[in-house]
Amino acid sequence: MADAAAAQVIEIARVYPAPREAVWAAWTDPAQIAHWWGKRGWSTPPESVAIELRPGGVFRLDSVSDADGTVMRHDGTFRVVEPPARLEFATEDSVAIVTFTDVGAGRTEMVFRAELAITDATRARAEGGLESAFDRLGEQLGG
Amino acid sequence: MATDQLSVTFAALADPTRRAILARLAEGEATVNELAEPFPITVQAVSKHLKVLEHAGLIARGRTAQLRPSRLQGDALGDAAGWLADYREFWEDGFDKLRDHLARG
Repeated sequence: MADAAAAQVIEIARVYPAPREAVWAAWTDPAQIAHWWGKRGWSTPPESVAIELRPGGVFRLDSVSDADGTVMRHDGTFRVVEPPARLEFATEDSVAIVTFTDVGAGRTEMVFRAELAITDATRARAEGGLESAFDRLGEQLGG
Repeated sequence: MATDQLSVTFAALADPTRRAILARLAEGEATVNELAEPFPITVQAVSKHLKVLEHAGLIARGRTAQLRPSRLQGDALGDAAGWLADYREFWEDGFDKLRDHLARG
């Protein structure tokens, strides 16, 4: 990570009622990831998805605001690709590790851990996210 | 929220001594001498840390010339937490949508 003024860690764990091969495919199949990537109210154009599933491969896709067309691009590189157990990828300002564990009865525990640094790119993304938050606030207020 | 200010806040929070000073101030205001006491560093070094924290908007210092007791300021810390919450929301939202996607599959 470049220009790490301060690293912040975010960890999110979820259990899905699906086998880990299915969760893995949802992350790594371009057609599938476009269905769920990004915030509520944002969509991913399938043609924006570039996935080269190997260490050093490209992991890029866009998130487009349904409200005003603002684009947030995820421009990453895979570091570790171990189907269907572990995925690691880095962007200019973050490193993320996603693990998929079989927890029985066809369920999968997914743990996402991201370490992020504050850089110009992060700041730009934070601003985009804030605009999105303000948009939603406007909707709630009937604007 | 000014994002440059946010960078300054995160940089200020990156130092363990400064976080310890903030933890101490969460209990109530304190002078630089009181703050220096638990640390194996000089009063001058603590003064430097206080300047960084003040610049980041994390603390305010009294105007009494001699003592200038420091106290916590909530806003900057709230902005930093808000930014992280927004980053987290990006993923939480996505993972909610992933659940729906898997349910359809």
